[in-house]
Amino acid sequence: MSESSHHEVAAYALGVLDDGDVEAFERHLDACERCRQELKTMSELPGLLDGVKSSSERAN
Amino acid sequence: MLRQVRQTTGNDLQWAEDVVQETLLRAWRNAAKLTWERSLLWAWLLTVSRRIVIDGRRRRGVRPREVEPPEADSIAVPDDADKTLAAIVVADALRGLSADHREVIEQTYLRDRTVNEAAVILGIPPGTVKSRLYYALRSLRGVLKERGVAS
Ligand SMILES: [Zn+2]
Repeated sequence: MSESSHHEVAAYALGVLDDGDVEAFERHLDACERCRQELKTMSELPGLLDGVKSSSERAN
Repeated sequence: MLRQVRQTTGNDLQWAEDVVQETLLRAWRNAAKLTWERSLLWAWLLTVSRRIVIDGRRRRGVRPREVEPPEADSIAVPDDADKTLAAIVVADALRGLSADHREVIEQTYLRDRTVNEAAVILGIPPGTVKSRLYYALRSLRGVLKERGVAS
Protein backbone atom coordinates (compact mmCIF):
# COMPACT_ATOMS: atom_id res chain seq x y z
CA MET A 1 0.00 0.00 0.00
CA SER A 2 1.51 3.34 -0.99
CA GLU A 3 2.09 6.06 1.57
CA SER A 4 -0.33 8.42 -0.18
CA SER A 5 -3.19 5.95 0.17
CA HIS A 6 -3.26 6.89 3.88
CA HIS A 7 -3.37 10.63 3.28
CA GLU A 8 -7.10 10.83 2.65
CA VAL A 9 -7.72 10.44 6.37
CA ALA A 10 -7.11 14.17 6.85
CA ALA A 11 -9.67 15.26 4.24
CA TYR A 12 -12.02 12.65 5.66
CA ALA A 13 -11.61 13.92 9.22
CA LEU A 14 -12.42 17.44 8.05
CA GLY A 15 -15.46 16.24 6.10
CA VAL A 16 -14.12 17.73 2.84
CA LEU A 17 -13.52 14.48 0.98
CA ASP A 18 -15.73 14.40 -2.12
CA ASP A 19 -18.76 12.09 -1.94
CA GLY A 20 -17.33 9.79 -4.59
CA ASP A 21 -14.23 9.14 -2.46
CA VAL A 22 -15.90 8.70 0.90
CA GLU A 23 -17.09 5.15 0.42
CA ALA A 24 -13.75 3.91 -0.86
CA PHE A 25 -11.95 5.56 2.01
CA GLU A 26 -14.31 4.02 4.54
CA ARG A 27 -13.51 0.61 3.11
CA HIS A 28 -9.84 1.46 3.55
CA LEU A 29 -10.55 2.59 7.09
CA ASP A 30 -12.20 -0.73 7.92
CA ALA A 31 -8.93 -2.46 7.14
CA CYS A 32 -6.30 0.10 8.13
CA GLU A 33 -5.39 0.41 11.78
CA ARG A 34 -3.00 3.29 11.08
CA CYS A 35 -5.77 5.44 9.57
CA ARG A 36 -8.15 4.54 12.38
CA GLN A 37 -5.64 5.81 14.90
CA GLU A 38 -5.00 8.96 12.87
CA LEU A 39 -8.70 9.63 12.48
CA LYS A 40 -9.02 9.59 16.25
CA THR A 41 -6.13 11.99 16.78
CA MET A 42 -7.29 14.31 14.00
CA SER A 43 -10.92 14.35 15.01
CA GLU A 44 -10.60 17.22 17.46
CA LEU A 45 -9.05 19.56 14.87
CA PRO A 46 -12.23 20.49 12.99
CA GLY A 47 -13.80 21.63 16.27
CA LEU A 48 -10.75 23.76 17.03
CA LEU A 49 -10.77 25.22 13.51
CA ASP A 50 -14.46 26.07 13.93
CA GLY A 51 -13.40 28.54 16.61
CA VAL A 52 -11.28 30.40 14.06
CA LYS A 53 -14.02 30.21 11.46
CA SER A 54 -16.86 31.51 13.60
CA SER A 55 -14.76 34.28 15.10
CA SER A 56 -13.86 35.49 11.61
CA GLU A 57 -17.55 35.38 10.64
CA ARG A 58 -18.49 37.38 13.70
CA ALA A 59 -15.71 39.88 13.12
CA ASN A 60 -17.23 40.81 9.76
CA MET B 1 -22.75 15.81 19.75
CA LEU B 2 -25.32 18.61 19.55
CA ARG B 3 -22.81 20.94 21.16
CA GLN B 4 -20.12 20.02 18.61
CA VAL B 5 -22.46 20.29 15.65
CA ARG B 6 -23.81 23.57 16.91
CA GLN B 7 -20.34 25.04 16.72
CA THR B 8 -20.02 23.86 13.14
CA THR B 9 -23.37 25.37 12.16
CA GLY B 10 -22.36 28.71 13.66
CA ASN B 11 -24.72 28.31 16.60
CA ASP B 12 -27.87 27.69 14.55
CA LEU B 13 -29.63 25.38 16.99
CA GLN B 14 -32.49 24.32 14.73
CA TRP B 15 -30.10 23.43 11.94
CA ALA B 16 -27.81 21.64 14.39
CA GLU B 17 -30.72 19.50 15.62
CA ASP B 18 -31.61 18.56 12.05
CA VAL B 19 -27.99 17.63 11.38
CA VAL B 20 -27.83 15.40 14.46
CA GLN B 21 -31.06 13.65 13.39
CA GLU B 22 -29.68 13.04 9.91
CA THR B 23 -26.35 11.85 11.33
CA LEU B 24 -28.04 9.30 13.57
CA LEU B 25 -30.17 8.12 10.67
CA ARG B 26 -27.08 7.53 8.58
CA ALA B 27 -25.46 5.75 11.50
CA TRP B 28 -28.31 3.27 11.57
CA ARG B 29 -27.91 2.65 7.86
CA ASN B 30 -24.25 1.84 8.53
CA ALA B 31 -24.86 -0.56 11.34
CA ALA B 32 -21.56 -2.35 10.69
CA LYS B 33 -19.72 0.69 12.03
CA LEU B 34 -21.62 0.51 15.28
CA THR B 35 -19.33 -2.31 16.32
CA TRP B 36 -16.32 0.01 16.16
CA GLU B 37 -14.73 1.06 19.38
CA ARG B 38 -16.29 4.09 20.98
CA SER B 39 -13.70 6.75 20.22
CA LEU B 40 -13.49 5.73 16.57
CA LEU B 41 -17.26 5.65 16.28
CA TRP B 42 -17.38 9.16 17.70
CA ALA B 43 -14.80 10.36 15.18
CA TRP B 44 -16.82 8.77 12.40
CA LEU B 45 -20.09 10.36 13.54
CA LEU B 46 -18.39 13.76 13.54
CA THR B 47 -17.16 13.32 9.97
CA VAL B 48 -20.69 12.38 8.90
CA SER B 49 -22.19 15.42 10.64
CA ARG B 50 -19.59 17.72 9.06
CA ARG B 51 -20.34 16.53 5.59
CA ILE B 52 -24.05 17.16 6.23
CA VAL B 53 -23.31 20.70 7.43
CA ILE B 54 -21.05 21.45 4.46
CA ASP B 55 -23.66 20.09 2.01
CA GLY B 56 -26.31 22.14 3.79
CA ARG B 57 -24.28 25.33 3.49
CA ARG B 58 -23.97 24.79 -0.23
CA ARG B 59 -27.65 24.17 -0.67
CA ARG B 60 -28.46 27.32 1.21
CA GLY B 61 -25.77 29.18 -0.65
CA VAL B 62 -24.39 30.24 2.69
CA ARG B 63 -20.66 30.37 2.65
CA PRO B 64 -18.35 31.81 5.19
CA ARG B 65 -16.85 35.04 4.02
CA GLU B 66 -13.68 34.80 2.06
CA VAL B 67 -11.35 36.10 4.68
CA GLU B 68 -7.90 35.37 5.90
CA PRO B 69 -7.71 33.79 9.32
CA PRO B 70 -8.26 36.62 11.75
CA GLU B 71 -5.46 38.50 13.40
CA ALA B 72 -5.39 37.72 17.08
CA ASP B 73 -6.49 41.21 18.05
CA SER B 74 -9.49 41.25 15.66
CA ILE B 75 -11.20 38.28 17.26
CA ALA B 76 -14.59 39.22 18.60
CA VAL B 77 -15.15 39.36 22.31
CA PRO B 78 -16.27 35.98 23.53
CA ASP B 79 -19.02 34.51 25.54
CA ASP B 80 -16.46 32.05 26.64
CA ALA B 81 -12.89 33.03 27.43
CA ASP B 82 -11.43 29.55 27.02
CA LYS B 83 -12.88 29.21 23.57
CA THR B 84 -11.52 32.56 22.48
CA LEU B 85 -8.13 31.79 23.89
CA ALA B 86 -8.16 28.52 21.94
CA ALA B 87 -9.22 30.40 18.78
CA ILE B 88 -6.32 32.81 19.17
CA VAL B 89 -3.87 29.97 19.65
CA VAL B 90 -5.31 28.13 16.63
CA ALA B 91 -5.21 31.26 14.42
CA ASP B 92 -1.63 31.81 15.48
CA ALA B 93 -0.72 28.17 14.83
CA LEU B 94 -2.25 28.46 11.35
CA ARG B 95 -0.10 31.47 10.59
CA GLY B 96 2.93 29.47 11.72
CA LEU B 97 2.32 26.71 9.15
CA SER B 98 4.06 26.74 5.80
CA ALA B 99 2.16 28.71 3.13
CA ASP B 100 1.23 25.51 1.26
CA HIS B 101 -0.16 23.91 4.37
CA ARG B 102 -2.10 26.95 5.51
CA GLU B 103 -3.53 27.41 2.03
CA VAL B 104 -5.06 23.93 1.78
CA ILE B 105 -6.75 24.24 5.17
CA GLU B 106 -8.12 27.65 4.21
CA GLN B 107 -9.30 26.57 0.77
CA THR B 108 -11.08 23.47 2.05
CA TYR B 109 -12.41 23.38 5.58
CA LEU B 110 -12.40 27.08 6.36
CA ARG B 111 -14.35 27.86 3.17
CA ASP B 112 -16.60 24.80 3.07
CA ARG B 113 -15.04 23.44 -0.07
CA THR B 114 -14.32 19.84 -0.95
CA VAL B 115 -10.90 18.59 -2.00
CA ASN B 116 -11.83 18.55 -5.69
CA GLU B 117 -13.18 22.11 -5.61
CA ALA B 118 -10.08 23.37 -3.84
CA ALA B 119 -7.87 21.52 -6.34
CA VAL B 120 -9.50 23.42 -9.23
CA ILE B 121 -9.10 26.75 -7.45
CA LEU B 122 -5.49 26.09 -6.51
CA GLY B 123 -4.65 24.55 -9.89
CA ILE B 124 -3.09 21.42 -8.35
CA PRO B 125 -4.16 17.75 -8.50
CA PRO B 126 -6.67 16.52 -5.88
CA GLY B 127 -4.06 14.02 -4.67
CA THR B 128 -1.74 16.90 -3.87
CA VAL B 129 -4.47 18.66 -1.91
CA LYS B 130 -5.07 15.47 0.09
CA SER B 131 -1.39 14.96 0.85
CA ARG B 132 -0.86 18.59 1.82
CA LEU B 133 -3.91 18.45 4.06
CA TYR B 134 -2.52 15.35 5.69
CA TYR B 135 0.82 16.92 6.52
CA ALA B 136 -0.85 20.22 7.38
CA LEU B 137 -3.15 18.60 9.95
CA ARG B 138 -0.32 16.61 11.43
CA SER B 139 1.82 19.66 11.91
CA LEU B 140 -1.11 21.77 13.13
CA ARG B 141 -1.91 19.12 15.67
CA GLY B 142 1.72 18.95 16.75
CA VAL B 143 1.84 22.69 17.39
CA LEU B 144 -1.51 22.73 19.20
CA LYS B 145 -0.49 19.82 21.35
CA GLU B 146 2.71 21.61 22.28
CA ARG B 147 0.69 24.66 23.27
CA GLY B 148 -1.74 22.60 25.31
CA VAL B 149 -4.80 23.21 23.12
CA ALA B 150 -5.04 19.76 21.52
CA SER B 151 -4.69 16.51 23.42
ZN1 LIG C 1 -4.56 3.86 5.93
